[in-house]
Amino acid sequence: LGGTLGCASVTVSPPIVPLGSAVTASCTVQRELCQGLEQGRVRISWMLDNKPVAGSQRQGPGGTEVSNLTLPRFNHTQARLFCCVEWNGTKQRIGMAEIRAGYPPAKPLNLSCVLNLDDYGLTCQWQQGTNSHLPTSFVLKCMGSRAQAVTGCTPRGGHSHCTVPRQLLQLYRQMEIWVSATNSLGTAESEHLHIDPMDVAKLDPPTLQSIQSIPFQTDCIALAWDLAWGTKHMELQCELRYRAPEDPAWALVSGIIGQAGTAQHCGFLFGTQYSFQMRCRRSSASALGSWSEWSPVRNYTTHEKAPT
Amino acid sequence: TELSGDQDFQLFLQRNLEFTRKIRGDVAALQRLVCDTLQLCKEDELLLVRQDLDIAQAPLEQCHRRTFQAETCFSQIRAGLRVYHGSLATIRALLPGHAGLVDTLQLDMANLSSNIQQQMEDLGLATVTYPTENQDPVPTFSSQFHHQVGGFFILANFQRFLETAYRALRHLASL
Repeated sequence: LGGTLGCASVTVSPPIVPLGSAVTASCTVQRELCQGLEQGRVRISWMLDNKPVAGSQRQGPGGTEVSNLTLPRFNHTQARLFCCVEWNGTKQRIGMAEIRAGYPPAKPLNLSCVLNLDDYGLTCQWQQGTNSHLPTSFVLKCMGSRAQAVTGCTPRGGHSHCTVPRQLLQLYRQMEIWVSATNSLGTAESEHLHIDPMDVAKLDPPTLQSIQSIPFQTDCIALAWDLAWGTKHMELQCELRYRAPEDPAWALVSGIIGQAGTAQHCGFLFGTQYSFQMRCRRSSASALGSWSEWSPVRNYTTHEKAPT
Repeated sequence: TELSGDQDFQLFLQRNLEFTRKIRGDVAALQRLVCDTLQLCKEDELLLVRQDLDIAQAPLEQCHRRTFQAETCFSQIRAGLRVYHGSLATIRALLPGHAGLVDTLQLDMANLSSNIQQQMEDLGLATVTYPTENQDPVPTFSSQFHHQVGGFFILANFQRFLETAYRALRHLASL
């Protein structure tokens, strides 16, 4: 990288360094290109942002003057190195190069993905890890289990998430998914997830359609529900929770078969209002499979007990 | 090949039974669209016209219970998926407003076929690798009506094909 103002050329190598390591720079001044510079010896000096730093000057090829500079421990994450010459008793900045320092990218953490059942796009998110102080690019990579082509997506605007479109996914089969972080000092990869995208499908909750006291005059109720759109072909396992207003905690009924569409449960108090909610998940989903949200609450008041 | 009891094979079957149900649901959605938009709903009203049409049907006899042979059945399912993948071009032309659904269906069919191929390879069975692009000629029809009826029967045949494939997978899952 070099900055030229016609008469001075500044080079830094390397322009991006690990924080705390050495940086060497050189400034080459070609007197005939420096308009206004009087005759006599060119005295080159350096400014690191606004602090003078000392270099060593010698004559270069073709009548040029060259100054070399070594900064043994560069501790700034970013700084501007100016090449200056004396002129009319003043120090003139005639060339500049930017120096950046930082660390190799940190390993991206906590990679997780969710498959949206509306468009079957796989949205993955992660944490970037400690700041490397350098421009770092992130790419989500995914590969079918047969080491086919690596595809994926690139987050926009510095976000830590992106969505792999359906066309690049292999449904109902193991895929390998990971995040790669790259900057000038290296590359780091997150843990690799080995998942079937369907296993992280995010289901919409079912809708409780009706609740009735059936059989009549008993402490049982019958519920009916509709499954969320786009899940009819799935074997779902659902949970019901209910409570009366004064109950501190929800009572939970699990192991409900989603496709059944109806279920009965007993043990309710008579003449009591209960709140009901339901949620589902794919029965075949692995441990990664997540529950849908709870359905909207549906209230129902059980009938009064007939006088005996 | 001893298939039953192999955990990976069972996982493959469970996954792809659901996948087949999904595909059948999408085909049924297209059939409803053909019914709603073209008023072509009942097969028995179109039997006469069908005789004028050359509608491809994919053989699945090795998937039927009497002559069931897993390896050949898998190959026939893949071959059939490829035939119907090509035939869906006819449907896309019939239902231009629903190209998205056709695209999704073709993607799912390609995925199902490669899932089966990988499972066959995992089981050490011989497989065919089809070229990515489907070179089969898209059928042509002598009239718009024949084109519509052709589309109707492509979906009807495909639905039956999927039903047979589904039963074969379910049979394997029950072993």
